[in-house]
Amino acid sequence: MYLKELTELDGVSGNEQQVRDFINQRIKDKVDDLRVDVLGNLIAYKKGTKGRRKIVLAAHMDEVGFMVTNIEEDGTLAFSPVGGVETQVMPGKVVRINGKTIGVIGYKAIHIQDKESLLKPLSVEQLRIYIGAKSKEEASKQVKIGDYVAFTTAFDQENGRVTGKAFDDRAGCSVLMDLIEKNDRYEDDLYFAFVVQEEVGLRGSAVVVEQIHPDIVIVIEGTTAGDDPELPEYQWATHLGDGPAVTFMHRGYVVNKKIYEAILNVAVKYSIPHQAKRRTAGGTDAARFARTGAGTAAGVVSVPSRYIHSPVSMIDLNDYNNAVLLLQKILEEGEAFAR
Amino acid sequence: MIDLIKKLTEAYGPSGREEEVHNLILQELEDHIDGYKFDNVGNLLVWKTGSSGKKVLFDAHADEIGLVVTNIDEKGFLRVESVGGVPPHSYVGHRVRFSNVVGVIYVEGETEEERKKNFTNLNLDNMFVDIGAKSREEAMKLTPIGSFGVYDSYFYRNGDLLISKSMDDRIGCAIIVEIFKRIGKPHNTIIGTFTVQEEVGLVGASVAAYTLVPDVCIAVDVTDSSDYPKSFKRHSMMLGKGPAIKIKDRASISNRNIVEKLVETAEQQKIPYQMEVLTFGGTNAAVLQKTRSGIPSATVSIATRYVHSPSETVSLNDVENTVELLINYAGKGV
Repeated sequence: MYLKELTELDGVSGNEQQVRDFINQRIKDKVDDLRVDVLGNLIAYKKGTKGRRKIVLAAHMDEVGFMVTNIEEDGTLAFSPVGGVETQVMPGKVVRINGKTIGVIGYKAIHIQDKESLLKPLSVEQLRIYIGAKSKEEASKQVKIGDYVAFTTAFDQENGRVTGKAFDDRAGCSVLMDLIEKNDRYEDDLYFAFVVQEEVGLRGSAVVVEQIHPDIVIVIEGTTAGDDPELPEYQWATHLGDGPAVTFMHRGYVVNKKIYEAILNVAVKYSIPHQAKRRTAGGTDAARFARTGAGTAAGVVSVPSRYIHSPVSMIDLNDYNNAVLLLQKILEEGEAFAR
Repeated sequence: MIDLIKKLTEAYGPSGREEEVHNLILQELEDHIDGYKFDNVGNLLVWKTGSSGKKVLFDAHADEIGLVVTNIDEKGFLRVESVGGVPPHSYVGHRVRFSNVVGVIYVEGETEEERKKNFTNLNLDNMFVDIGAKSREEAMKLTPIGSFGVYDSYFYRNGDLLISKSMDDRIGCAIIVEIFKRIGKPHNTIIGTFTVQEEVGLVGASVAAYTLVPDVCIAVDVTDSSDYPKSFKRHSMMLGKGPAIKIKDRASISNRNIVEKLVETAEQQKIPYQMEVLTFGGTNAAVLQKTRSGIPSATVSIATRYVHSPSETVSLNDVENTVELLINYAGKGV
């Protein structure tokens, strides 16, 4: 399990180098082939004992974050979100610019705000990153326009639940690495695709199908929990601790019926706790895999995560371990899976 | 052809669950095609081979809008979310058909004020489905979470007008089936694609032309008509004026050569037609044209009243004229 290492790396969409290098180092001796494609996706291959089908397991390496758009005269930085980050979670957070410079997203202290401005939603135009520089000249020595900005949250663990940033989708990356570490061979040819730029529009995944022509793709995600005690239960997407979530539909794609049912069957067969993902908002790379090249049957298995797309999210390790187990059993089914 | 339209529109086929529609089409097309296959995402592709070496693809989507079960409460009531662009108002007091049970949809409201508020701001979040189950367990057996439902509606003929759910796009499916039935030995190879998951984002059509690589693609789909009280005034489409040859919608611009050839064909054959510019919406042509290194594509539409309601309404004359236009077009050089 590489949750700590993976979530403490910076890999905002388009800048996945750190994550890719880390994964590459750890898995290169355990797979039959490894390549980085034109868009930066890392694709590992393990030959099957029968090799009549090709299965792709996919997770995205990128996380949401920001980019520096301007350096102001006073040495502060204007910035813009990369991927979906709600403005309300930005103020007061510590960020790392270009992997080294630490900054803070500034916030007007409560003491100098009146009641009305406190209630008004913020816009990103009102916010700056402060790196302690006193002038544009001083700031320009450390950062430049176009630098990537990531949250800096340290990984932590308590009571079987862990907190950290970017479980969406480093949780998926870690699941894939765990499966590779088991070092088993399965009947089907297996591809592990660590893809780029999911958060900005499912971009890296758009070139995977054409390279592999897979029979089945399973996307492994860190997905929304939304099990907010203020909401009625029927509005929750998933619930932490109830097991990995299996998706029947999300934005832009109804999961292939055969794959959806086959995943559920494996979970039931081995008594692995699982739950349906119960909201259809939000999309995954499955939508892209289904609709590029000659298309492919795609399914989605997720680790429920609270507070995704914010500086800190939380998952339950039982859910994580059961996601690994579910996928391992799926692979062990071999050619009997989704026949 | 009316029987065919009745059968196809009354069939159950929400996005991702198009099997019943596909099976009906295959039954209808027995002895009228040279071959068929299902591709990786479940699109049904059929063909009849011609002598010219050129291939014309006609596409209609097999799916319809619907609802999907996301939650079941302890008393057996369901919560649902929409599959494609479902207007919640079409469902109030109406029925939804799942693969093996029918339910009623209604609106929450614990006080008069709350009910009034929920009725004026309809949202599936405060609506529920009653399938007559008395417990969560009973409901889970009938409609497990992830079950898909469609309007419970039936076909009705009002003179020239045909009324049913899912004219969008079973009317396109019916037209393509009819083309295969009526055409003998085609000049160009004709491919029919009955694609999946159009309503959730043109999924099936994105890959439908990949394997058979046609020379041109024509999407056959419905378009919004402007011939009822206070209908959309910036549009010109009307029922009864013939097939609508699309120039543009929000998702695609039809290939100019195809548009000109369609117009020329209609003029020569004295088939009534109308031109279409739709300021919103989109059809499968938007993605068919982006297959591989690009395929010239266009859309021929059936003007339709009350699109995405349980009572989508088309003109039988328009349907007949569309079949004639496309048969004549398919016979020409591509």
